[in-house]
Amino acid sequence: MVSKRLLAAGLVALSMVASQAAQATQAMQNIEFWTMSLKPKFVPYFETLVKRYEAQNPGVTIEWIDFPGDLIQTKLVTRIVAGTPPALVNLNVPWADEYARDGLIVPVDQLMGAAKSTYAKAAIDDLTFSGKTYGFPLYSNVTVIAYNTSLFKEAGLTLPPQSLDEQLAFSMKIYAKTGEAGFSPSLAKADGFMLQQGLPIVKDGKAVFNSPQHVALVEKLAVAYKAGGILKDNLFSEDNFPAAIAAYNGGRLAMLSAPPTAVKRIETDAKDIYAITDVAPAPLGPTGIVDGGWLIHFAVPTGVDAKLMPAIAKFARYLTNDENQLAFDKLANVFPTTIAAANDPYFQRLPVNAGASEKAVAIGAESMKRSRTLYVAGIDDYDELRRSLVNAIEAGVTGKQDPKAALDAAVAIWNKKLATQAH
Amino acid sequence: MMKTSFKQNLQAYLFLAPALVLFAVFSFWPVGYGSYLAFTDYSLIKPTHWVGLDNFRYIFDNAMFVAGLRNSLLFLLIVPIIQIGAITLAVLVNNRLPGIRLFRAAFYVPVVTTISVVGIMWGFMFHEQGTLNYVLLQLRLVNQPVGWLSDDSIALFAVMFVTVWRGLGWYMVMYLAGLQAVPAEMQEAAILDGANRWQRFWKITVPMLRPTIMVCSIMSVLAALKAYQEVLVLTQGGPLNATFTALYYAYDQGLKHLKLPRGLAASFVVSICCVAIMLLCLRYIKPKHR
Amino acid sequence: MNGSNQRPLLQLCGHYFLLCLLALICIFPFWWTVVTAISTEGNIFAFPPTFWPKSPSLQNFTEVFRVIPMLSFFKNSILITFWTVFWKLCLCSLAAYPLARMHFRGRKLVFGLILATMVLPSEVNFLVNFITVTKLSLVDTYTGVILPNIITAVSILLLKQAFEEVPQDLIDAARVDGANEWTVFWKIVLPLISPWLATVGILSTVEAWNDYIWPFIVMSKPDEFPLSVGVLYLSGTYGSSTRVIAAGTVLTILPMLAVFLGTQRFFMRGMDGAVK
Repeated sequence: MVSKRLLAAGLVALSMVASQAAQATQAMQNIEFWTMSLKPKFVPYFETLVKRYEAQNPGVTIEWIDFPGDLIQTKLVTRIVAGTPPALVNLNVPWADEYARDGLIVPVDQLMGAAKSTYAKAAIDDLTFSGKTYGFPLYSNVTVIAYNTSLFKEAGLTLPPQSLDEQLAFSMKIYAKTGEAGFSPSLAKADGFMLQQGLPIVKDGKAVFNSPQHVALVEKLAVAYKAGGILKDNLFSEDNFPAAIAAYNGGRLAMLSAPPTAVKRIETDAKDIYAITDVAPAPLGPTGIVDGGWLIHFAVPTGVDAKLMPAIAKFARYLTNDENQLAFDKLANVFPTTIAAANDPYFQRLPVNAGASEKAVAIGAESMKRSRTLYVAGIDDYDELRRSLVNAIEAGVTGKQDPKAALDAAVAIWNKKLATQAH
Repeated sequence: MMKTSFKQNLQAYLFLAPALVLFAVFSFWPVGYGSYLAFTDYSLIKPTHWVGLDNFRYIFDNAMFVAGLRNSLLFLLIVPIIQIGAITLAVLVNNRLPGIRLFRAAFYVPVVTTISVVGIMWGFMFHEQGTLNYVLLQLRLVNQPVGWLSDDSIALFAVMFVTVWRGLGWYMVMYLAGLQAVPAEMQEAAILDGANRWQRFWKITVPMLRPTIMVCSIMSVLAALKAYQEVLVLTQGGPLNATFTALYYAYDQGLKHLKLPRGLAASFVVSICCVAIMLLCLRYIKPKHR
Repeated sequence: MNGSNQRPLLQLCGHYFLLCLLALICIFPFWWTVVTAISTEGNIFAFPPTFWPKSPSLQNFTEVFRVIPMLSFFKNSILITFWTVFWKLCLCSLAAYPLARMHFRGRKLVFGLILATMVLPSEVNFLVNFITVTKLSLVDTYTGVILPNIITAVSILLLKQAFEEVPQDLIDAARVDGANEWTVFWKIVLPLISPWLATVGILSTVEAWNDYIWPFIVMSKPDEFPLSVGVLYLSGTYGSSTRVIAAGTVLTILPMLAVFLGTQRFFMRGMDGAVK
């Protein structure tokens, strides 16, 4: 073990030398910002944006890097730990919540300054944790329902569903008449699902999701599942969307809950199904909140050089201003998070010859006003708890366990954990 | 024991030096430091404190990790399957039949496929309304679609199957190389003596493959205990924690949620299991030295 | 010359049947990917699934080249893979030789240490390794990508076993003749284990080619990523097509298959005189 100690000493010496050498002073300020899975489609958009900004702001160089969504967390974490984080990073809200709590990203209230009022209130609310704002909102998504009109006709249905109960009833009917599943809720996000139906998960620091109403919800799902109305594949997977869209494209699923961008994918991957697809707004729960709100924003990681902050603030505001958001959203079929951009007529008007994907945009825009990212904030190790809730619901829905018993067991797990986290 | 001269020692260590240095920097150091962190409450924003066995208590109390540990041990079932399968494949292709090169390549395809693609392809095959069920239904081998990945009593075996599928070609290559060492003359002499294929296989081939079998078995055992990639791309631990493995838990906690101390504690436990099992293996199978 | 020159026909048919069945199971998913990549029409996810391309064309493949810088990715993959395998063969054989055929103090200990690295799960190592690489200013360099991967216990173990098959008398004779250890290693023993070197080489090539997490962490400019990372860009959130992803996948797998087919003769030696 002597060699190991020598080596450790050698490493330390080396690192000291290396860090001295690396302390090159820069006259130019370099801002590195990361986006999530936006290449290759948005290369022209971002390149022009960057060029325009650099022309208007000499003394600042902007570096844009895009990373695949599956890997961006790992990359961010390794860079923060090594002390070389990027200036801005694309995140979604649950990640931001966890990172904010673990100290990986910093509040941006000061950086936002007066610009805060230009952002939609819902967006800012989504990004406020413990009273501080943690990101510059970029765009959001909302769910619409794409449905297979021929399967509907076969089942004797003419109108799309207006509520969850109708969705479940339609699904069972569709399966009975056509042998194909009706819909595929993303039950891995069971917490958001329940919240949308107006059922709280946590109240006063205690888990409350085993009330009679919660049990009734699970029972309703179990009935539909047993009757074949719900697609069984990947129902409880962390990401069941690929399975759902594959089933929809294969004509094996009647209703697909998807953001408008996905409706566009149906067009390329399955033209025959696209031709018989129509779009409807997703049913609102009793809360009036639309499902599928998913806010993407730019956050500032810990460890970024304080001297760069003013430049970063200016660029971040530019990145997410009305004009740029509008341009981006037109390209991506997503929705803006600034008040002015959201009111742009582009989102209200339905073009002539609207196909399913154009309709999806218009319907989505209408629903955006009532969209929030739904999950439970402010709990340590939230992901584990969520998983135990999802497991309980899975056991109840698939009939492996009595729903009340399963939910009771999960509530016990949550309460045990919450008791140790007395905030 | 022969007393070794200074010169001999020096020479040996010169040969070993580059490898040892790299091991020290990129293997021992992270493992050592990581193991130390498993006993702390390391986080990015707070100073680190020693917390003793807290992290271990936490993970053993956690349903996901406990299921994972049990499943990792169950994974050992694949070791005999892969080894026997690989030897069979190697023997089947160890000849000069026309087109045999293509068959060797075919068996190697699963090894060459990137893991993410493996996940997509097998995910699709295993769907309730996927290809496998389709074939089975057509052949009337089952009456109803089987929930390969959604039924918690068989999901683990489906994942294990994919691991076997991926590994067969890799070990086949190793056994092929090992088979080259079997001298043809021995085989011919045996044929002249009237031995049939079966006898030749057991009395000549297998004993000569012994060193390869041992090395492969050890590697296979360790790989089985450390399995996590197939879980990552196929089921992410579901349904109902049925496919969690200990290292998947470590990866999930450590790298996705940055709960490093817990992920490292889980890794540490897996290491202990690996060491224990390895020592057992080495004791029972005396390596043939020189 | 050889033993039986003609197998009974039935046995031969049985042999081929078994081979075909096993091969089918192995390449089945890959075949589906190829079909998806070549088709331009039809429903990918139709049930029952389609096993034959509809309106075949290479347009998905050209799309891949258009959408991501495939040539750069290829070049990067080739560089990283080549140097990884080169250094791996050098250093691992250097390390395996003394363990197999030399006497020295601490031999058991060193062997144990190397085995230990196999036993210890290294998947979470890359966080610490990344810090090391950063401190050594090797971020964003291929050296940083290659260094941790060039010594593995598995390769050392395999090569050690290969060295142990070389007859001891050969080595003793050479030593008696006055050759120093390096000459014995380089001129005598190493050439004798070339099938094993080829085997380790091929297995390492595939491993290096498919490795994606570590290069992704070390390199920061997307143009410098190897192919294994580059193809992930085909699944961009707002503009991906399953067919193009399938085409990209096929393009990643094919080179390795070609390498495997082309190098088989290097480790299939000793076939002369084998029973047909």
